[in-house]
Parts: sequence; C-alpha cells; structure tokens
Amino acid sequence: MKRVIIACAIVTLLVTGMAVAADETVAGKCMTCHKEKSPGLYNQWYASAHARHGVTCYDCHQAAKGEIDAYDHEGASIATLVTPRDCGRCHEKETREVESSHHATAALILESKDAYLAHAGGGYPAVVMGCESCHGGKVEIDPNSPNKLSLTSWPNSGIGRLNPDGSKGACSACHTRHAFAKAQARRPEACSKCHLGPDHPQKEIYEESKHGNAFYTHVDQMNLAADRWIVGTDYFEAPTCATCHLSATANQPVTHDVGNRLSWNLRAPVSKRMADWAQKRKHMQDVCVNCHGQRFVDGHYYQLDAFVNLYNEKFAKPATQIIGLIKEKGLLEQPAAFANDIEWEYWELWHHEGRRARHGAAMMGPDYTWWHGIYDMTHNFYFKFLPAARAFGDPGVDALIDEVMQDPMHTWFNRPTADIKADIRSGKLPEVYQHLFTQK
Amino acid sequence: MVQRFQLFLRGLATNWTGTTGVVLTTSAFLLFVFMELLRISGIITNSYVGLLTYMILPLLFLVGLVLIPIGWRKFRRVSGKSLDEMLHDRFPDNMVRSRGLGSNLIGLIAVLTVVNVMFFGLGGARMLHFMDGPEFCGTACHKVMNPEWVAYQNSPHAHVRCIDCHVGEGAGALIDAKLNGLWQIVSATFDLYERPIPTPVHNLRPARETCEKCHWPDKFYGERIKRMTRFDFDETSAPRYTTLALKVGSGTGAESGTIHWHIAATNEVRYQAIDEKRLTMAWVEVRKGDEFHRYVNVKLAANALADTTRSESWPAPRSVDCVDCHNRATHIYQESEPAVDAVLAAGRIDRQLPYAKKVALGALLGAYADKDAALIGIDNEVRGYYQREQPQTFVTHGRQLDVMVTELQAIYARNIHPTMNIGWNSYASHIGHRHQAGCFRCHNQNLVDERGQTIPYDCTLCHSILAYDSATPFQFLTQPDEQDPDRKMHLYLQSEFLESVP
Repeated sequence: MKRVIIACAIVTLLVTGMAVAADETVAGKCMTCHKEKSPGLYNQWYASAHARHGVTCYDCHQAAKGEIDAYDHEGASIATLVTPRDCGRCHEKETREVESSHHATAALILESKDAYLAHAGGGYPAVVMGCESCHGGKVEIDPNSPNKLSLTSWPNSGIGRLNPDGSKGACSACHTRHAFAKAQARRPEACSKCHLGPDHPQKEIYEESKHGNAFYTHVDQMNLAADRWIVGTDYFEAPTCATCHLSATANQPVTHDVGNRLSWNLRAPVSKRMADWAQKRKHMQDVCVNCHGQRFVDGHYYQLDAFVNLYNEKFAKPATQIIGLIKEKGLLEQPAAFANDIEWEYWELWHHEGRRARHGAAMMGPDYTWWHGIYDMTHNFYFKFLPAARAFGDPGVDALIDEVMQDPMHTWFNRPTADIKADIRSGKLPEVYQHLFTQK
Repeated sequence: MVQRFQLFLRGLATNWTGTTGVVLTTSAFLLFVFMELLRISGIITNSYVGLLTYMILPLLFLVGLVLIPIGWRKFRRVSGKSLDEMLHDRFPDNMVRSRGLGSNLIGLIAVLTVVNVMFFGLGGARMLHFMDGPEFCGTACHKVMNPEWVAYQNSPHAHVRCIDCHVGEGAGALIDAKLNGLWQIVSATFDLYERPIPTPVHNLRPARETCEKCHWPDKFYGERIKRMTRFDFDETSAPRYTTLALKVGSGTGAESGTIHWHIAATNEVRYQAIDEKRLTMAWVEVRKGDEFHRYVNVKLAANALADTTRSESWPAPRSVDCVDCHNRATHIYQESEPAVDAVLAAGRIDRQLPYAKKVALGALLGAYADKDAALIGIDNEVRGYYQREQPQTFVTHGRQLDVMVTELQAIYARNIHPTMNIGWNSYASHIGHRHQAGCFRCHNQNLVDERGQTIPYDCTLCHSILAYDSATPFQFLTQPDEQDPDRKMHLYLQSEFLESVP
C-alpha cells in the first residue's frame, strides 16, 4: 500500500512538474517577444502584483483548443479576450460577485431606450464606440480574423460585455490592464470613464463634494496601493467611489457587487427603493459612520429621502402620467419613438436633469442638486414639457394637466409674487413639502 | 627629323580649324604620355587624375584628329585647288616627291596612323580599365555619387569593385552598363535625377551571379553570436548588452530551418510587394514540390485596399535573393544612435566624459542647414555643453573633447549628405528589425494561408537571445533570481539556446 501511495505521489509530482514546465516554456516565449514588441504593456505587467506572484501572460490568455475564440499563436493556443471566467480561475469570489451585480447586466440595455436612441437617431458606429464602450457589447467571432474576434465588436471593455464564452462582464473595465493596480481601481478615475456627463455626472458631483475635495487634497497619504485598505484603519482622509460602494470596512469585506450598498434606484424615471433596501442602507451607513456621527448620517438620509420624494411627486410622476396619456390617445404625430419633440423634453426631464438632481443630492453635490438638477427640471417642466403637452389641444390631456396644477406644490404658478414670498417667510410654503420628509 | 615633323604639322594646319586640330591632337598626345610617365614613375598617385588622363585627353585627341580633315576640306573649298596643287602648296617638294614606296609624306602619314591606332588601343584599354575602377564610378559624377562612394569606402566590400556587383561579366553586361551610363550622363548634366536616389536599384545584376561568386550558399553554417552594445543616457553612459545567437545556417540538411533557408538551392520564396520599396507584401509564397504555398495579406484584403493577387501599380513579383535582406551590404548608412554607440564601444569617445552618450547624440541630431554648418554646430554643441554644464571636465578633458568632436563630425560626414537630401535613415536596411520592418515585412501576423496559419514571426525563430538590454552580455546563461518577474522568460531563453544546437 505504501508503495502504491509513493508511486502515486511520484506520478502526481511528475505530471504537475511537467505541466508547470510546459507553462513556463509557453509563458517564457510570450514574454520574449512581447517584452520588445509591446514594451508598454510588458512593463505595466512587470511592475504589477501579478508579476510579483508569478502570474504571466499564459495564465490569463490560455485557451483550450476548441474554445470558440481560441487561436494558435506561435505554437500556443490562446485567446485575446480575457473574460471574468478567466480571471475567476484565481479570483473566484470577485467573479461571482460581479456576475450577480448590476454592472454585469449593463450590456442587456441593448433593448432599452438608450440603445434605441443611439441606433436610430445616432447610428451603429456611435453605438459601438459610445454606448457599448461603457455598457459592453456582444463580442462576435470572425473565423478569418487573426485573433478570431470581429473588429466591429472588439476592442470592447464595457463592464457588461457579452463574451463568446457565455460570461458577462469585463474586469478590465475597472481594473485597467496590464497593471491591474489596486491604486488605480481605488481612485475615482476608475469609475469616471463612464460615470460622468449630462445624464449621470457622478464624477463631477464627487469633485464638487467635500469627499472629492478632501481626496484630491490628501491623495498622497491615502495608502492607495496597500494590500489591505480598510476605511478608518488604513486610511481616513477621504472616501473614493470605491470606499463607499465596494471597499472593505472594519465590519464588512470588500464587495464586487456595486449595488450592495444602494437603497434607492436613482436611475429610473420614477425612483423606487431597491429590493432589500434597508439592509443595503445599513451596509452604506456602516461606511459613513467611520467618519460621521450616526445622527449626521441619519440626517443625510432623512433629507435625501425627502428630496427623492420631491422629484417623484412633484415632477416625475405627473410628467410620466401626462406623456403616458398622450401616447395612449395616439396624439403623437410621428409613429417612431423620439421622433416627436415632447418625447425629448420628457426624456431630458428624468434621464438628464432628474438624474443629475438625484445623484447630486445622494452624493452631496449641492450645485448638481439644484442648478444642474431641480432648477433645470423646473424650467423644462413648466416652460417646455407642459406647453408641448397643451399644444395637442386635447381636452383629456388638458384636464390632467389642470389637475396636476391643482397640487399645492404647483399652485404658486398662478399667484402674485408678493403672496408667495409672504408664504415663504411665514413658513407656509415649506409646510407644503413637509409630508415628503416623512413619506416612506 | 624634328624639323621635318614640324614642317608636316605646319602643312597640316591649313586654317584655324586645322590648326586647332593639330594643337589638340599633339598636345593631348604629349600630355597623355607625360601623365603616364608621371604615374608609372609614382609621382602622381591621385586617382582623380585618371579622369583627365583616360577620359579627357583621349577625347581631345580624337576631336583634334577629326578637325584636321575638316580643315582640309574647308581649305580646298576656299582655294579651289586640286589635291596635287594643295599638297605642293602646303608641303616642301621633297616631302611630296614620288618615291619607290610612295612619297615621304605618305610614309609619315602611314607611321603616324600606326602610332594613332596604337595610341587608341592603349588609351582605349586604359580608359575601359579606368572606367572599371571604383574611383571612376565614385568620383566621375561627384555630386550624385559622393554619398554612396563614402559609404562604400567604409564598407566591408571596400575592396570589391563597383562593377563586380553593378555590371557583371560579359559583353552584354558591359554594353548594358555603358548604355545606362550614357543616360546617367544626360540626367546628371541636365539635373534630372531624384534626391535622394531612390532604392532599390532595379537593374542590379542578379545576386546569384554576383554575391555568390564569393559567398557560397552551401558554405554558410552555424550560429553567429552578435553582441550589440547600447549605452545609457546616464552620467556614466553605462553599457547595455543585447546578445543574440543568429541562426544563420546554410538552410540545408540539419540547418534547414535557419535564416539562409530562404536562399538554399532547393528552396524558392516569391513575394508580391505593393510598393517600390518592397516594404508591404500583398502575398508571399513558398515552393513546396511543384506547387507554391501562398500566404495572403489579410489586412490589405480586409481594408479592401486592393485585390490581393495583382494590381497594375505594383512592381513585378520577385524571388527572394541576397539583396532582399542584405539590401545595404555595402552602401551602409548608420543610424544615429548605433553610430554613437559604436564609437563609444570602441573607446574612441571617452566614457569618462559625463553624459558622453547623451551629449554626443544630441549634437549629432541637431538641425543643421548644411554640412559646413553641421560640422561647426557639432563642435559648438559639444564644447558648449561641457563649458556650461561641466566646466571642470571642460578644463581637464580638453583632448578627449577634441576626439569626441572629430569622431562625431566623421559620423555626420559619413552618413548625412544634405545636397542629396540624405538624412538619418533615408536608406533603411532590411537586415534585422531594429527600427525598420526588416524581417517583419514577411514574418508578421497579417500574412495568412488558407488554413489561417501565419508565417511564423516569433523571436527565437531566427535567433536565440542571450541578453536583452542587460548590464551583462550573457544575462540569460546565468541562473535567474527567484524573485525576478522575468524568471520564466529567463529559463525559457536559456534552454532554447542550449537545446537549439542541431
């Protein structure tokens, strides 16, 4: 029996030894050429944690013969595309979390209005280089392409990329190749390739906020490259996007599910609380309290909830109801979506202005909350959207608008300025909004 | 005798035309003899004089000879005399008096004709011989040929005559070359040539006829270890070694996979370039038995730039021979950095001069209007830098600075020729792949056969790597550091070299 065990052990050692040797030969050969041919890429890797731990080209780019995107490259079977499944060979937990996160579904937006507008109004190249570069595209196989990938769908490192191996996502969307530096992913710039601009200016809001202000002041003291990065322990100067949404606290581990700490859906036309929102809010507050007192945190959420309710009740719900009725009655002149002016007014109301306002409030960027947010919405709602709706001259639509305008939040529109100012001073007008603070 | 010859010459010189003819012929002949005597006695060694002796003097001699009868015709027309009257008129009676074997005049003319024929035989032979010499090719059309002449004199083929590669053997080759030369005279005279002269030269003799006279394909063998030293831009100009074992081989038998496989007698590689410079290939094919196995440029096909089989604007397909890779085997223009590295490696620029490499390269790459400005500019750059930044060195290392300036000026003069628009890298070498496509013109990912296989293009196909930009010249033959991220590459390259011996 003992001999059998020893023999088995020897065989196992030999086989693993040979496998390791084969891998070394292949990787060594890759490195030989790419050190000269791709010195930038090579040196990024050389200075990386991957290199320090002996993870080389072939560990990530290997592909079994027969895999749909595998091709023969100088005697090695490899794939250009490294998918979460490849990364998951080592980073098992992270891959699992990403695959069940909202990020992984980003490419499924192809059926949504965003992609419709870009496809129909813009054009396919704009979809590929615009939408799909953030959301991820479906990477197609071209048997005639040297690396088997169709050039119309690759390069693509959108976060929800639909990979030929069936997996969803691209780790490199945040973890920039080939350094895969922790510091890079922890900095706000990692997110701001996509989270910026007129429809979701998270980057700009962060820069405006005290959080961003403190970060750019203390960036050099923040231990960004440290292996362990627990807020309050390993750094405390400022939070980055990663700090609040992903990184570890003393009580919870780092997560790759970006929605794990979000209690509101601030993207939708009408905001709703996320499933299991209370638990998620607890996760977020667990981050906040490292730097803020609990009362401060409670106050922030008290104000934020009221703000989101304001958005919903005063603008989003009435506007959605009105445009719904117009469509239902077939009043739109052109049959295609977005071929009518009022659809653009409504779209910008919630998708641009409304998101700017909600994100601004959630991330404590006052200018985005008001001037880029509710201010723009107010102007749009009263002077573009409602006039465009009234222009149909439809009695049903007009009746609905009249009903909306009866709401105490809207009645100011037909009153003298002096009266309104008096109501503000007396507290009567703020009182109109008081119910939003307690509403769940 | 001399007096009689004088009378003869005077008689020939009927009028201005005749006189000019007599003067030209006589003085050209005498000068030729004089110059040859000087050359034979070793007084004249300047090869440039050959242009006068073997080109201009025989030409003047011939022109003179032609002018003399023209003068006579003119004389006859003007005077209206008969031949007999003219002869009596021009020459003393005893010269034209009839004798047993004709008059003295006939005899003299006969003798002189023999001398003329001999002179033309000798002069012509000397002329052809002179025209076969590199000095003629390199200096006759001075402005055009000077860059190539300078490069040639510094090349490994400096002892091989131009015509051995450019003309070849046999009457046909000679006539071709002379006809081509006539056009060159026209184009040089009327300034019709391009600057720089475009390459490749299309009427070069086939390499099989020329190169292989000395370099037998069957005699190429083994690996050649080539150590290239690059110096850093730091204060010490520290050396960095890249050492390759080039798998040159003969391309036959056990060495069939080596670089000279391309030109082994049993193999044939053909290609279709899409440009005159032969840098981009539409297809490349290799003979396998009776058939050719073709690799098509899929990038060209994908971009729909052209039909990848044939286009009117493309040069004719070629079979690979020596010059497809060794395109600058003789007319070698150095690149700026390797030129500086070479003099540093040879110790001709002293590395004790702080930042020697950086300063040298900077001085060499300055924007200079012409050669004179460059030579002065290099001097100013180098001395100016040390005077300004390293005053101590400037004082203590004056002699080393002199040498550095001289070496850099020589590099510039060898490689840069503003009058012919030849700057750095005007003529890229196809050997290797340092700063130009070279091997990768064909060995690249875009040339793919019908099964999707590319022509291999990995590094160790053609050379083992023993060091890459390393502080030690045989870096990969030592044991790697366990912590080195490059460890796997190190071990791979070590075993690749050690196991590559056939």
